[in-house]
Amino acid sequence: MTQLIHSAALGAALPWYPLHFVPASDLVEFLPELVVAAGMVAVLILDLFTAPGPRTRLAWVSGVTVTVAFGVAVGEWVGHVNGHAVFNGAFAADRFGLFSDFLILLVALAVIWLSPAYLQRRGLDSGEYYVLLLGAVVGMLVLSGATNLIVVFLGIELLSIPLYVLCALNRDDPLGQEAAIKYLLLGGFASAFLVYGMALVYGETGSTDLARIHQVVLHGALAGTTDPMLLAGVALIGVGLSFKVSVAPFHWWTPDVYQGAPVLVTTFMSVATKVAAFAAFLRIFSVTLGSTQADWTVAIALVAIASMVLGNVVALAQRSLKRMLAYSGIAQAGYVLIGVALGQPDGTAASLYYLAAYAAMNTGAFGVLTALSGRGEDCDDYAGLVGLARRQPLLAGLMSLFLLSLAGFPMTAGFFGKFFLFSAAIHDGQIPLAVWGVLTSAVSLFYYLRVILAMFSAVGGPDQAVNVAGMTVDGAAVARAQVVLARPTLGARTVLTLFAAATLVLGVFPAVVFGLIQGIHVVAG
Amino acid sequence: MSWPILTVILFLPLAGALVIAAIPKERRRLIRGVAVGTAAAVLGLAAVLLVAFYALPNPSHSRLSGSVSGQSLHRVVSPITFQFQEQASWLGSLSELGQGPSSLNQGNNSVNQSIPPPINATYHLGVDGLAVWLVALTGLLFLIAAVAVRRREGMLKTFAILMCISETGVLGVLLSLDLVLFYFFWEAALIPLYFLLLGFGGERRGPAALKFMVYTVAGSLFMLLAIMGAYFIGGAQTGIYTFDLPTQILIQTSVHAGHPTSLTLFGHTLRFLTPAQWLFLAFALAFAIKIPLVPLHTWLPDAYESGSPPFLVFFAGIVSKLGAFGFIRYCLTLFPGPSHTFQPVLLALGVTSILYGALMALRAVNIKRMIGYASISHLGLVVVGIFALDVDGLNGAIIQMVNHGLIIAGLFLCAGMLEARFHTRDRRQLAGLARRMPIFAGLFLVIALAAFGMPLLSSFVGEFLILLGAFEVGPAWAVAAGVGTVIACWYMLRLYQGVMQGSERVPAHAPAGFHDLRRVEVAVLAPLVALIAVLGVYPEPIIRDTRFSANQYVVSADRGVVPTPASPAARTVGPSTGAPP
Repeated sequence: MTQLIHSAALGAALPWYPLHFVPASDLVEFLPELVVAAGMVAVLILDLFTAPGPRTRLAWVSGVTVTVAFGVAVGEWVGHVNGHAVFNGAFAADRFGLFSDFLILLVALAVIWLSPAYLQRRGLDSGEYYVLLLGAVVGMLVLSGATNLIVVFLGIELLSIPLYVLCALNRDDPLGQEAAIKYLLLGGFASAFLVYGMALVYGETGSTDLARIHQVVLHGALAGTTDPMLLAGVALIGVGLSFKVSVAPFHWWTPDVYQGAPVLVTTFMSVATKVAAFAAFLRIFSVTLGSTQADWTVAIALVAIASMVLGNVVALAQRSLKRMLAYSGIAQAGYVLIGVALGQPDGTAASLYYLAAYAAMNTGAFGVLTALSGRGEDCDDYAGLVGLARRQPLLAGLMSLFLLSLAGFPMTAGFFGKFFLFSAAIHDGQIPLAVWGVLTSAVSLFYYLRVILAMFSAVGGPDQAVNVAGMTVDGAAVARAQVVLARPTLGARTVLTLFAAATLVLGVFPAVVFGLIQGIHVVAG
Repeated sequence: MSWPILTVILFLPLAGALVIAAIPKERRRLIRGVAVGTAAAVLGLAAVLLVAFYALPNPSHSRLSGSVSGQSLHRVVSPITFQFQEQASWLGSLSELGQGPSSLNQGNNSVNQSIPPPINATYHLGVDGLAVWLVALTGLLFLIAAVAVRRREGMLKTFAILMCISETGVLGVLLSLDLVLFYFFWEAALIPLYFLLLGFGGERRGPAALKFMVYTVAGSLFMLLAIMGAYFIGGAQTGIYTFDLPTQILIQTSVHAGHPTSLTLFGHTLRFLTPAQWLFLAFALAFAIKIPLVPLHTWLPDAYESGSPPFLVFFAGIVSKLGAFGFIRYCLTLFPGPSHTFQPVLLALGVTSILYGALMALRAVNIKRMIGYASISHLGLVVVGIFALDVDGLNGAIIQMVNHGLIIAGLFLCAGMLEARFHTRDRRQLAGLARRMPIFAGLFLVIALAAFGMPLLSSFVGEFLILLGAFEVGPAWAVAAGVGTVIACWYMLRLYQGVMQGSERVPAHAPAGFHDLRRVEVAVLAPLVALIAVLGVYPEPIIRDTRFSANQYVVSADRGVVPTPASPAARTVGPSTGAPP
C-alpha cells in the first residue's frame, strides 16, 4: 500500500516521470468495466449486421453482458474483504465500489429488460440506444471505483455524454430535444465547476490522487490549519457532484430533463446516475476529506435540508407524474446526503443502504410508468392512472408498494433506509437533520398517497371529471388514456415483481443487506 | 408451554392471507370460509393464551415480584412482568444484546471515525395482563368482522386479504417487546387499513383515508425519532445499546435526565424541556393522534363515517385502543418522570375530549358520526384513567379499553344494519322500528345502555374505577369526567328512543318491507352483548389479570418521582421488588 501511495505521489509530483509498471493483475480488478465495454463494442458491431427491424437481439446481448459483469463483480466481492488500490492508486478494488456496481448493474439489467417492448411501442427502437446505455454503465462503474480526481472526471463525462444523447432519443419530440440541450449545457457547467475545483485541490495538495490528498488534508487537520484554497476547491467539487445527484440549489435541470426524456431513459438516469455519483460523493467527502469534516459538514447538511424541503414541497404541486417523481428524486437525494453530511462510517453505511432501497423502489415506480407507456406517448398524467386498480390490479399493487416505500412505510425498503439514516444522524448529534427528514417525510405522504388514491378511484364517463385529493382530472383524458396506454408485457410484470420482492426483503429483513455494508471497507486511494 | 404460541398467533392471520391469495376470486364461499376459519383459529389460540395466563401462579396473591414464573426466556428483570416471552435475532444478533459497540471491520484508511453501535433490535414478543386481554379482544373483533362480511361484497378476496394482514399488524403492536418491532407493526398496520378504507367505504372515503393516513403517520414519525433518541441517550450513558423494551425500561430510569434544552435570544436564555420530556412528548403525540385526543381528532369522524361496517368493527374496536395501549406500555414505563410532569396536561386533554366528544355527539344527526364522537368521549375517559397514575384509575382504563372495544363494535354493527335496511344514516328519518324488529331492539338497547355505563353491564366497572382514580387525583377531574357520562346517557337514550320507539317512520327511498335480524346478524351481535353482560356481572377474571399489571405500571411510573439508586448493580438487577404504592 505504502509503495503504491509512494509511486502515485511520485507520479503526481513529477508528471514527466514514467508511471510505474502496472501489473496485468490490476486489469482483473477492472474486469466488470472491461466486460461492459466489450459488450458495448460487440453491440455496436452487431447492429451493423442486423437487418432493419426490431433490435431485440441487441437487447439480449446487452442483457447477457450486464449479467456477466454482475457475476464477475460478485466474484470480486468474495475476493475482497479488505480492498486495495490498483492502477497506481487511480482505481479502488473494494467492496464499497463493488456494492455500488451491483446496484448500477441490476438497474441497468432491469432497464434493458424493459427496453425492447417499450422502444417498439414508442417507435424508438435503435441499435445506438443499447450502445449508449452500455457506455453510460461503463462510466458509472468507473466513477464508483475512482480514487483519482482525473478518473472521477473521466467517469462523470463517460456516463454523462451518452445520457445527453439518450435524452434526445426521440428526435420528433421537441420536449426531448429541449431536455437534451438543457442537460448538456447545465451538465457542461457542472463539469466546469468540477474541473476548477479539482485544479484548486491539485494546486493545494500537489496531487490528484485521493490517497495523497487524504494525507495532505490529514496533516493540515492535525496542524489545525485548513487552507482556504483547498476549501474552495472542495466546495467546487461538491457543487459539481451535487449537480449530478440533483440536490436542491443545483436541481433546476432535473424536472425538465426527467420529463422530456423518454421515461425508460429517465428510469435509468434517475437511479443509476445517482448511485454512481453518490459513490464518488461518499468516497471523496466522507473518506478522503473525512479529517476536515468540520469544515464542510454544515454546508452539506444545509444542501440536504434544502433538497428535502424543496423536493417534497414542490412535488405536491406537480400535475405530471414524471415531474412529481423528479422532485421526489430530489428529496430522496437529500435523504442520502444526510449520510454524506455526517462524514462517519455509520452515515456511509446508511447512505449505501438508502441507495439500495432507492434503486429498488425508484426503478420500480418509474418502471411501472414505462410498462404503461403506450404508442406515441409516455404515461405522464394522472389520467393514465385513474382506475388502474380495476384494469391492472397487479400493476396498481406494485406501484402502491413502490410509492409506500418511497414514503418510508415499514415492510418496505424505504422504512429501514430512513431508519438507518436518521438513527445515524441522531447518533452523530445532527438531530436537526433527522427532524427535517421526518418533517419532510410527513409532507411527502400526501403526494405519494395521492397517486395511490388516483389508481383506486372509480372511472366515470368521458364527461365526468375525477377528483383526486384536490386535483381535478379530466374525464375525457381518462377515457383517452385507457385507449392509448399499453398493457404491460409479461417481461415487464416479471421484472417489476422482482423489484417489488427486493423492496419487501429490504423492508422486512434489512440485516441481509445491511450486514454486507455495515463497516464496509472504503479505499481512499 | 414450550411451543411459541405468540408467534403462531401473530403470523396465523398472515398465513391465512396467503392462503386466500391463492384462491380464485370467484370462489367466494371458500374465501369467506378461510377468512372466518383463520379468525376463529386466532381467537381460539387467544382464548388458550388467556386461560394459560389466568392459570399462571397468581402473583398478586404473593408479593409483587418481578421474577417471571416458569417462562422461558427473560434476560433482564423488568418492573413489568412479561409472560410467554420469545426472542430471536432480527436486525442485530442476539449475542450482541446488551453489549457495547462491537469492533467492526474498519478500513485502516478511514480515520478519526467513531465506531457505530450495532442496531440491536430483536424479534421479542411477550404479553402482560394489559396485552393479553387486548389480544383476546382483537381475536374476537376480527372474527366478528369476518362473519359480518357479506359473501356478495364486491372485491371480497381483497377485503379478506387486507383484513387478515391488518390483524397481524394489530397483534404485532400488542405483542412486540422491542421498540423497533413495535414501530414496525404500528406503521405497517396502517397500510392495509388505508386500503380497506380507500376501497370499501362510503362516498367520501378517498379524502378520509388520505387524512387518516397523513395524520397518523405524521405523528408516528416523531415517535420514530424519539425511539432512536432513547436508544442513543440510554446507550451513551450506560453503554447498553438496545431497542429491547424490558432492558430499555431499566435503562431509562437509570439515565441522567439531562439538562433542559436552551435557546439564547438577545441575551435572554430560554429554557425548554429536558431530553426525556421531548421524547415523552413525541411518543404522546403519536398516541394522542391515534386515540384521538381532542385537538388532534379531526380525522376520526370522516373515517368512521366513510368506513364499511365490518371494517369499523375492528378499526374502531381495536385500532383506536392502540393509542391508549401505547400510553400505558411506553409512556408510563419509559418516561416515568415526564409522565408525572405532564399529568395535568394529559388529564386536561382527556377531560376536554370527554366533554367535546359528548357535546358533538349530542349535536350529530348522522348516526355513524355520532358514534364516532361518542368514541372520542369514551376514550377521553380512558386517558383520564391512565393519567390518574394510580392503580384504580389505570385498572379501570384497561378494563374500559376492552369494554369500549366491545361496545363500539356493537354500535357500528347496529348502525350498519340500519343503513343496510333503510339506506340512511340520519337518525331523524327513522322511528318506531322496535315493533317490527324486536330482536334488534333488544340487542341494541343492551349495547346503548352499556355505552353510558349502566350498572350490571361491563362498562360500569371500568367507569367506576376510572372515576375513583380520578377522584384521588382531584375531585374536579372526576366531576368533569362524570358530566361526560351524564351527557352520554342523554344522547344514547335519545338515539334509542328516537329510532326504536314511537310511531313507525322510515325514509321514502328505503326499499319496501324490512325484516328483523337474520341469523348471521344475530350471530355477530349476540357474542358482544353476552360478553358485555357477563363482564358486567362477573368482572373478576379481567380485574384480576389487569389489576396486577396496572399495579406494575403504576409502580413503574412512580420510579420517576421516587428517587432510585443509579448504581450499576441496580441497573442490572432492577427494581424487581416494587412495593405497592
